[in-house]
Amino acid sequence: MLQYLIKRLLYAVPTLLAVLTVVFFVARVLPGDPAQVMLGEQAGAEAIQALRVRLGLDRPLVEQYVDFMQGALSGDWGTSLVTGRSVLGEVLNVIPFTIELTLASILLGALIGVPLGAWSALHRNSLVDYATRIGSLFGLSFPAFVMAIMLLLAFAIQLDWFPVISSGGGGSVSERLLHLALPAVNLGIIMAAYITRVTRSSMLEVLGEDYVRTARAKGVPHRAVVWQHCLRNALIPVVTVVGLYLGILIGNSVLTEIVFNRPGLGKLIVGALTQRDYTMLQGLMVVYTFIIVVVNLLTDLTYGFIDPRVKYQ
Amino acid sequence: MAEAPALSVQGLTTEFRIGGQWHAAIRGIDFDLGKNETLALVGESGCGKSITALSIMGLIPKAAGRIAAGKILFEGQDLAQLDEEHLREIRGDRIAMIFQEPMTSLNPVLTIGFQVAEALRYHRGMSQAEARTHALELLEQVKIPSARQRLDDYPHQFSGGMRQRVMIAMALACKPQILLADEPTTALDVTIQAQVLLLLAELKQLYGMSMIFISHNLGVVATIADRVAVMYAGEIVETAAVGDLFDRPTHPYTEALLSSIPRVDRTSDTLMAIPGQVPAINRMPGGCRYAPRCALRQPVCERPPALAPVSGSAPTHLARCWVRAGGDR
Repeated sequence: MLQYLIKRLLYAVPTLLAVLTVVFFVARVLPGDPAQVMLGEQAGAEAIQALRVRLGLDRPLVEQYVDFMQGALSGDWGTSLVTGRSVLGEVLNVIPFTIELTLASILLGALIGVPLGAWSALHRNSLVDYATRIGSLFGLSFPAFVMAIMLLLAFAIQLDWFPVISSGGGGSVSERLLHLALPAVNLGIIMAAYITRVTRSSMLEVLGEDYVRTARAKGVPHRAVVWQHCLRNALIPVVTVVGLYLGILIGNSVLTEIVFNRPGLGKLIVGALTQRDYTMLQGLMVVYTFIIVVVNLLTDLTYGFIDPRVKYQ
Repeated sequence: MAEAPALSVQGLTTEFRIGGQWHAAIRGIDFDLGKNETLALVGESGCGKSITALSIMGLIPKAAGRIAAGKILFEGQDLAQLDEEHLREIRGDRIAMIFQEPMTSLNPVLTIGFQVAEALRYHRGMSQAEARTHALELLEQVKIPSARQRLDDYPHQFSGGMRQRVMIAMALACKPQILLADEPTTALDVTIQAQVLLLLAELKQLYGMSMIFISHNLGVVATIADRVAVMYAGEIVETAAVGDLFDRPTHPYTEALLSSIPRVDRTSDTLMAIPGQVPAINRMPGGCRYAPRCALRQPVCERPPALAPVSGSAPTHLARCWVRAGGDR
């Protein structure tokens, strides 16, 4: 098990190196000069050139690349071209907010989606089933940012239950949760819609399996058939979908973070993109890659937890 | 049979809904299963053998199937009328079933020990530990090597033959009076088949059970059954003690089944096959259901024949054929 973990993490190294390289070159071929962007339209050619020298943008590409790789691997991701602060520092500043939001929305999605999907499958073609299916389709097709605005209007402005600007909250846990609530619900609903649909269809499949008939032939009560025999088998595809969907969730969180004006990786990346903050962009790409690698690893580990047929080697 | 039968099935008709209409998958099934008796249900795929067993167990999927008529009498109760909760109390306790596919009939995410112990926990109210000890005894009884080490193994760690032994241990957990074995050896290698059959026969003796043995293989049936009911297209077409049936196969379908057994003691290059196939349940012929495939077909076969005594054989030997068994009623 430990061996497997180490192996998987070592596999991640070449992936990260490749991503670093791609990110470095892609950032350089993007049109637009960062020095120009930073100094504005009115800046003179001399000032721009001076800035380019200061940022090292005038040196040969290969030299910049070697420098960049050395820095990246030794933990020095450079400083933001825009704010002048350390990239790593900025990332570490906001990453707790992103993790908090992601975990909360997955938790919410699973807590709603798994029971709803299972229930829907058990009452196939009933009114509840139809309502669940339509509801989840709605949750999937509704744009996240529209729902975010509606949530804000209803719960923050009309009812005044939650803060309009989810800055992340202060020190206390209750305040943090208050700030987390609406953004988490926003993403959680989408997550729940996905999980409901997958749980329903995999549960329907499992209900038709021979081993479920065997359990019933043994006289196992309905409740135990569902909880002990079906659900664990039905969760295997759900784990896959949650793992895959995490990537989309991080993308969706960009819009959510903007609408709720909440700090996070999403907001950071949009800022870096519009301001051509190369160093920040590079750092964020590495962080995203790392997140995906970790999520995949966690997904695989979860399989082993649910399904005894999975062996780690 | 002076003694009351262990199970009496009378006029059992089970229907399935296809395209909004109910069609009978089995119709008017009658048989008695004596105490300690092994009755074999024989027929090709789709003839209703498994549906008969599932109807007895109350495991017909409710969404698309129903028992439309008939009685299943067991211990003075009609199982066809019983609600789910009462059926559940009987299932796995006094009537148990073994299924055809050992590869898919065990839950892949639960240990063997857990699955064998389950029936004991629900029917006998045993604690986890008690049920586990008992499960170990059962696994030893079905001759699983080093059973103690294997209690916490999962089904994928067992071979097909071993899984079928686990299935048998599960079914026998509560010492049922009746065991329904639905093609228990079909998915196994021939050598393993013989071992499992022997084990079943031994355990049946040991536990004093009655058994309904479902098979399409008359060779297997000859070794294990006391009595045979041949099914075709949802009906019993011939029933007799096993000796009488093999001595005097009367229904043309039985005859055809017998001659399509491959034999090593005769030199023949071709294997007899029955032309055509079992009609779909929504396209049953009105008269004798075998008539379209039958070489002896007469005009009278347009009308449905009844089960009638076969003249010159034992009085318990019945066949559903105008031509061969008179049926002139």
